[in-house]
Amino acid sequence: MKVLILAGGRSRRMGRDKSLIKRPDGSRQIDYLVQLARTVTTEVLVSCNDPSLAPDGVPVLADLHPDHGPLSALEAFHVAYPGEPVILLGCDLFLIDGPTLRTLLDHQDPSKPATAFANRIDHRPEPLCALFQPTALTRVADAISSQTLCARHFLESLEPLVLELPHPAALDNANTPAELDEAFAKIIHGAAWKSVRVLYFAKLREARGLGEERIETLACTAAGLYEELRFQHRLPLALDHLRCARNGDFCEWSTLLENDDEMVFIPPVAGG
Amino acid sequence: MSFTIQHTPLDPVLLRESVLDPAAGGFCSFEGWVRNHHEGRAVDRLEYEAYPALAEKEGNRIMAEAMERFAIHHASCVHRTGEVEIGGLAVVVCVSAAHRDAAFDACRYIIDEVKSRVPIWKKEYFSDGTQGWVRCDHCAEHGHRHP
Repeated sequence: MKVLILAGGRSRRMGRDKSLIKRPDGSRQIDYLVQLARTVTTEVLVSCNDPSLAPDGVPVLADLHPDHGPLSALEAFHVAYPGEPVILLGCDLFLIDGPTLRTLLDHQDPSKPATAFANRIDHRPEPLCALFQPTALTRVADAISSQTLCARHFLESLEPLVLELPHPAALDNANTPAELDEAFAKIIHGAAWKSVRVLYFAKLREARGLGEERIETLACTAAGLYEELRFQHRLPLALDHLRCARNGDFCEWSTLLENDDEMVFIPPVAGG
Repeated sequence: MSFTIQHTPLDPVLLRESVLDPAAGGFCSFEGWVRNHHEGRAVDRLEYEAYPALAEKEGNRIMAEAMERFAIHHASCVHRTGEVEIGGLAVVVCVSAAHRDAAFDACRYIIDEVKSRVPIWKKEYFSDGTQGWVRCDHCAEHGHRHP
């Protein structure tokens, strides 16, 4: 089984190449993913258009259609290795671990076009830590030529086998600096459940449909909690339009949550 | 020196009395009124909502900053919550000082900072039946998160 690591994306929201980000232990994300993949297979490839990104000795697979996202990596793989399945791995997965990859391999169903994990919040299958059989890969070129490039929609169209994650936060990805802070906080402090109270005001109160609630969360930071809530409830305001408060006063987005905290996310104010 | 949030109609005379001082030679106040139009659209009424604990904390920080920055004797500010009709008072600032420059400057500082920092939100009810949160609706975004 080959593992294909996606690197060299534009990382527009992060502002820098995610594969080169140094993890809390000092290792580069790309090196971490290669080493992790090597715990389950000897055949690791890196998908990127700049060969210098790949660690020494790791084969590089260039896109046939650059800037077409993860599907173009699958397309290139299928051309290079027709008839072979592949595990696709996104380089924004800072929390992925050995048990997750091992579960994917051990529980795959070769009769299904794909095997994936359920997102821990919306339970839809996650495309960037998923196993694709050749029957799936033959359909990638069509998806690209019809410009349906969303990897999640493509995966769902395959009606994959969907597994539960052995560690629920393992596929929490990081595409912005605030999400990276959250991922690193989970690496450093662990992804433990905590119970917090959240108050909603104004536009967020109306969008959520209530003024306050108690939440059980795996988030470590204020930003991580807001992103969970925004994703879960389709809240209408992005984090960079808000401020946050913890226990009655303003706080930083990177502030660590504690059990029983009272959190408020503050929409743009308009007194007077 | 105080900043308060109030859910009942504001009394500017009462607030003026709170800054009286025999050493003061000047008094300046600002009243924010609910007007019947916004960006060319007719408005029927406004609704104010606050996060009271933090609004009063941040408001009182602003008042302390004004006392520190300007040569004033007293400053008070009170802000409404709830529905306010056209012509109603949304906010009142009162400042007393020995001389007028400091009173004008502090009054201006307080209202500007309150509008930009204090967690108070304003919902407009337009005459055409629509409504919206001021400064929030332009930055709304929807859709699912793409990796």
